[in-house]
Amino acid sequence: MTVLTRPRRSIRWTSWILGGGSVLAAAAFAWPFFVGAVPADAQVAVPIVAFALIPALIVALALTLDREMYTAKTVALLGVLSAVGAAVRIAGTGVGGVEAVFVLLILAGRVYGARFGFLLGLLTIAVSSLLWGGFGPWTPFQMFACGWVGAGAGLLPHWPKASPPTEPARSSTAQRWRLRWEIALLAAYGVVAAYAFGLMMNLWFWPFAVGSSTGISYTAGVGPGQNLASFVLYSLVTSTLTWDTVRAITTVVGIALVGPAVLAALRRAKLNPRSEKRSHRL
Amino acid sequence: MLRLRLAPLRAAAVLAVGFVLLRVVYRVVFGGAGAGAGPLLLNLPQLRLDGPFSHITLLGPITLVGLGNAALSALPVAAVIVFFGLLNAVVNVQALFARGAGRGPLRAISRSLVIAWATFPALLESVRRVRVARALRGERSIASLLVPVFEQTIERALALAASMETRGFAAVRVIPGVCETPVLLADASLDFGADWHLDELNVTLEPGTLTVIVGATGSGKTSLLHSMSGLFQHFYDGTQHGRIDIAGADRALTLPRDTAGFVGLVAQNVRLGFAAESVHDEIGFALAVRNVAPTIVHARVLEVAARLQIVHLVDRSIDQLSAGEASLVAIAAALVNSPILLLVDEPLADLDTAARDRVCTVLGQLAHEAGVCVVIAEHNTREFDVIADAWLQIRRSRVHQLSSAEIQPKLVEIPVPKPADSPSWGRIPASFGSASGRAAAAPGATRSIATMPAKPLASIRRLSVRHRTDLAVDDVSFEVQAGDVIALRGSNGAGKSSLLRAIALPMAADTVIIAGHDVHSLKRRTRRQSVALVPENVDDLLFAITVAEECRRADRRLHLAQSARTGPEHGEPVTAALFAQLLGFDAITDAAHLLERHPRDLSTGERLCLVMAIQLAARPALLLVDEPTRGLDLAARALVSAALLTATDRTSAVLFATHDDDFSRGLATRTLRMEAGRLSSPIEVLS
Repeated sequence: MTVLTRPRRSIRWTSWILGGGSVLAAAAFAWPFFVGAVPADAQVAVPIVAFALIPALIVALALTLDREMYTAKTVALLGVLSAVGAAVRIAGTGVGGVEAVFVLLILAGRVYGARFGFLLGLLTIAVSSLLWGGFGPWTPFQMFACGWVGAGAGLLPHWPKASPPTEPARSSTAQRWRLRWEIALLAAYGVVAAYAFGLMMNLWFWPFAVGSSTGISYTAGVGPGQNLASFVLYSLVTSTLTWDTVRAITTVVGIALVGPAVLAALRRAKLNPRSEKRSHRL
Repeated sequence: MLRLRLAPLRAAAVLAVGFVLLRVVYRVVFGGAGAGAGPLLLNLPQLRLDGPFSHITLLGPITLVGLGNAALSALPVAAVIVFFGLLNAVVNVQALFARGAGRGPLRAISRSLVIAWATFPALLESVRRVRVARALRGERSIASLLVPVFEQTIERALALAASMETRGFAAVRVIPGVCETPVLLADASLDFGADWHLDELNVTLEPGTLTVIVGATGSGKTSLLHSMSGLFQHFYDGTQHGRIDIAGADRALTLPRDTAGFVGLVAQNVRLGFAAESVHDEIGFALAVRNVAPTIVHARVLEVAARLQIVHLVDRSIDQLSAGEASLVAIAAALVNSPILLLVDEPLADLDTAARDRVCTVLGQLAHEAGVCVVIAEHNTREFDVIADAWLQIRRSRVHQLSSAEIQPKLVEIPVPKPADSPSWGRIPASFGSASGRAAAAPGATRSIATMPAKPLASIRRLSVRHRTDLAVDDVSFEVQAGDVIALRGSNGAGKSSLLRAIALPMAADTVIIAGHDVHSLKRRTRRQSVALVPENVDDLLFAITVAEECRRADRRLHLAQSARTGPEHGEPVTAALFAQLLGFDAITDAAHLLERHPRDLSTGERLCLVMAIQLAARPALLLVDEPTRGLDLAARALVSAALLTATDRTSAVLFATHDDDFSRGLATRTLRMEAGRLSSPIEVLS
């Protein structure tokens, strides 16, 4: 009994940290909408707090996840997959918006779970930024956003467990349908993730990108409604209609083309840190 | 920590300028460029939006001061961008991460980053190889590139994980080893579900001995080896029954990482298992993950390197090693903990003769001078005749422990197995050795001879291949007649593979003429009807999730090529039928169990047959096969040679490269010999 309850309790504990950290980070992303709620004297400090909070949260979550990931197989897979992700990302920089890296994040998050997906998102951005020399204040925000994309894929529902196969022919047809359903689900999630990623990245940077005194500028004095409208228009113009749409299409096409084979390859590697630990105790 | 790279700075400067321009554009479009009293540049009509956007006005007047203000307001952020560009250009952040690997609270993540870093060269190499393979298959889909590269990456991750695991990565407890009995297997058995099993294992190995595990491919040499390293039970999900004790530790309950202090493992493909960037860190890895002080690690690394006489390699980067050097470094890395038991998996596979001798000598010394219990899985047994003390022979799911004297006659008298279910095998004597006999067996070939008797099927004219500065193939010319089965022989590095690839994908016009066509001028789709190559790494060509799907894709590609000439002919599964035929089955239905599998779950011989089927489906006039027998045992070799003979039904001539004399002797009608990029002797005809 102790064998089974111990890991479960530690998972719940870290889940709280991960969930709480993500909520805090989301708040930091949305800092422009919180400025109005703060006393006027403190308003200047809000973006600074947001900018400090995101890297701090990354360190905190990385520390939380690091212990769980400390097995040879996980570390090796995390390493090579983030290299693949970084290579894909760098190869795509010249081709505007064709960010195929989401395909990898979504497929790996799906197979190895939300925590792995989150870390893979963090590391992919870290590695590509190191390699390309693009480290800056924007990097932590990108890391978080990509981490969420991977984690979200790990939280998607699974097909209800099928009854044990009776005939081999029938089970293989069922399996094919199941795979199609899974690919469709992941592609749909890819579209959502592509647009959500664009919105999130616009959100924190919007006040800096536009500056003051334009129609779509962030204005501290007015209500959230008007700021939201300004933001929506800014987002539509800068990314939603262009980059994000290209990214959504790339992701869907990528998942449809290589999804089945990549899922099979990842599943054949059988990463399952918890069951690995359990099996040697029993 | 510090160094100068200009690229990040340049990128940051471009980004900063772009940022300033973008902000000016925003102000112009969203009505913010009209501030100030300066001269009016342009007075655009103002547009007011409706609904929730009613506070927004588009366009409007533009003044010089307004534009200037916009640009000025963007400068702080642009300065931040340039500042970080400068930082990236000067600070080597990667080195900061490398320091954290193995230590501290972020050791898993920093180690992942180091691995990611070390993976890049391999990734580029992998992309390069798969692009060639994809051209050979006539594919251009994105999946045919990405999937094999991805599969290779996962394979690398697993090899790496296994190597890290056996070197004590993430170990939490330290178990002392007992020297007296390094290996004890008592009534043990091993199995992988229903697929494979090894029973009644009773083996005891002494310290200071060298034991070689021999057996057919797929008989389980590696699994037996890993039942001792613990990877079989704890990494590859195998099941162990009975008792296996390694230096006193119960293998069923002890993880590989916990025995890293006294069990060393040298994996099959050592390069895949390298976890560090420099030779020094690679050798010291097992100590560094145990948090041993860096000075002690350094001293120990030098000590081990001195023992193997590789001190000159210590400062090198890991990707600057030759195959032989890489093997020695891997052995050094396994020795750094002074193991009681050293396990070595196929150490000689990729090595030339000089490197083989070196590795054998080192392993012999470790056993007989340092007192290590050395266990080697290998099918090149000849090299170990002198130094082996005992042999473990795997036959029909049993292991026989033989002394050196017992094994000698047995190894010599192993008969050539004859696959009973192979109809083409029986045809060998009939069509053997003579072109006319073979032509009778291959109606397609007869026709082509009849129509153009004077012309050779293929002529290779003054073909040269240059790899950077070396001339891999130097001015090679020869002709192939219809009905030929040619063996291309020569030692490693003679240029055989380069020649075959240059024939299949010629770089220059008029160097390869097959059936009257200049192959260089042919399009991707039609080229394979003239010449098709089965490369050495057949896995590079496979990218579907079942064998059946792989065959269907090949058929589809075929129909595309054919519909251009003769119109579509859909329906019959050409490739699947060929695959079954090459394996010696009478009908596709007999191979149904294989068609349902993942291509990478097939045995090496079956996979070779699958790729041969894919390439033969296009009915190439000339089929090229590179090293078909590499890593195969006698039974699998018989399968492949039968498949090559079957292949002559669908092609007019076969040219295969091999360094295996026995294999080519029974099969080839002619032999070409290659040495240092040249055909060394005139064509010899066997008759």
